[in-house]
Amino acid sequence: MRLLLVDNDDSFTRNLEHLLACVTGTAPEIVSYARFRPERAAGVDCVVVSPGPGHPKEYPAYGPLLESGMPVLGVCLGMQVMHQHFGGQVSRLPGCVHGAASRIELWGRSVLVARYHSLYVSHVADGFDVLASCGGVPMACAHRRLPLLGLQFHPESFLTQCGAEFLHDALDRLLAR
Amino acid sequence: MTLLTGFWPADPARLLSVLEKLAPERPDIFLTPDATGLPATCVAGLWPEAELRLQPGDGAERLKGFCFGGSAPGPLSEAPRAHIPGPALGFLSYHAGFSGLGLPIPPGPPGAFPLGVFRKYRVVLMQDRLNNRVRVLARDPSALAEAVSLLNHAAASPPMAAAAPTFPGPLDASLDATAYRQAVQQAREAILDGHVYQLNLSIRFETGWPDGLDPAQVFWGLGQRHPAHFYALYYDSPYVIVSTSPERFVRVRGDEVLSQPIKGTRRAGSDALAAAAALKASPKEDRELSMIVDLIRNDIGARCVHGSVAVEGHKSIFLVDGLLQMYSNVQGRLRPGATCLDLLWDALPPGSVTGCPKKRAAEIIGRLEPHQRDVYCGCMALVWDENTMDSSVAIRTAVLDEERKRLAFFAGSGIVVDSDPFLEYQETLAKAEKFFTLINRHPAEAGEP
Repeated sequence: MRLLLVDNDDSFTRNLEHLLACVTGTAPEIVSYARFRPERAAGVDCVVVSPGPGHPKEYPAYGPLLESGMPVLGVCLGMQVMHQHFGGQVSRLPGCVHGAASRIELWGRSVLVARYHSLYVSHVADGFDVLASCGGVPMACAHRRLPLLGLQFHPESFLTQCGAEFLHDALDRLLAR
Repeated sequence: MTLLTGFWPADPARLLSVLEKLAPERPDIFLTPDATGLPATCVAGLWPEAELRLQPGDGAERLKGFCFGGSAPGPLSEAPRAHIPGPALGFLSYHAGFSGLGLPIPPGPPGAFPLGVFRKYRVVLMQDRLNNRVRVLARDPSALAEAVSLLNHAAASPPMAAAAPTFPGPLDASLDATAYRQAVQQAREAILDGHVYQLNLSIRFETGWPDGLDPAQVFWGLGQRHPAHFYALYYDSPYVIVSTSPERFVRVRGDEVLSQPIKGTRRAGSDALAAAAALKASPKEDRELSMIVDLIRNDIGARCVHGSVAVEGHKSIFLVDGLLQMYSNVQGRLRPGATCLDLLWDALPPGSVTGCPKKRAAEIIGRLEPHQRDVYCGCMALVWDENTMDSSVAIRTAVLDEERKRLAFFAGSGIVVDSDPFLEYQETLAKAEKFFTLINRHPAEAGEP
């Protein structure tokens, strides 16, 4: 499996790289957001959009990728980028949640997952289903038509239970379509 | 080429008392003072033979060339063309890691604090703990003989007179209490906007240095009164670094990688056990440490075998400087083909004293802090070979400028969304307490409310 991991200048990208390598058996290629062009995704099976700082508005280059039909897994900022692009809204999360675990129910598991976010998807974009949420905050979303899947939580964090299983299931669902 | 090894009989205490008397030779010293019943350990470099001065644009390759051989570094006096065996002692300033983050290194004035310096020595002294003797590693027989004669002479000479210096001039702070509070507010705004989760904000304090005071006296005095794991004394004229850090950055032994980030601080007070329980139970300190643990996992992960990075003893606690500190062990296996310096270089600057995500945090720190961090929040490193290294985070660190006769010291704390500016300020002052005591000043002089 060929994976492209786009790094939004984040400090958890290597953790995601390790987990992807463990789950798929192959290390992903990594490209920084500054060097990312949609054509870089040619020939890969899936693009993973990393977490990162700031508001998804700062990352317009993903637009064409998201509409291309290429399977995309977005983590944290990566999920917010999807909603921002398709007309959803991303706002300040009252109280913020940084470095804490919350319980979610997703794909038959009820486990603690790590959260690092000041912002959240306050208005889900058209075309997306919320797969899991926590206190009204979307924690996992999938597009109904396109192979787009977003996780607001961090499967790569040491605080997340079953991080590898979630990543495995996410890729499985994206690539099965 | 190999080193000659000689031995000189001395237990750890004797070695330290002799090293103290070697102050005129200005040895660079990495020291773990005697604490909690464990004997002290020490490595000292005498008579530098080669020196690497990092320039902007230099990367890990230049450092590896110097430490492991392959390419000849710049000369100290005469250029040694061949690889020099033995350990290298040195430091990397906070800004040394900026190129790796893709950030510009701010241009300093001429004579600005160096980006990094590493040295090899004609003689290296180290404690051989099992046999109560000092190992003398020397380049040649004459260096060995010279070193042993120096040690004998120092052992027979009287101890240095205790100094009771008066530090002249006012105590300056780069941020007074009001400016600090404003900076914390700005950091919190940046957190609320999702730019960072945590940001380490520091203050630089500065005062005059008394005539005739030897920095070695200050170093040994602090080591005795305030033992911590990673003491270092390093001369780089006109600067002298006196580092009293309690925090390991990265250690590599064989393929085992260990980093021990500290986050979470409480005064031990009269009931240290109760304070430790409160520290461990604090959700704020829990989150602070967890963020940095994930960050350090990432930073060592750049050069660790996929899947090998693990967290052990999360939320462990130790006592230093009257403060309880929470930390975790982040471990990994060094990737085949990578050296300890590749790993160290890619992990710069130390995550626990920058923030997360690191690049954005470093950019915001640059805007909020009116001072340069110099070696503070960089690291001190002792490099033996491709697979053997230890390093500390250069916190609780002072820098003497012998030319300007100024002593600077720094302290900081991690700002998170629920940080109370007053408490963070108190924590910052508490971390600088041993330096306030040293100069016999109260932080109020520097603008405490």
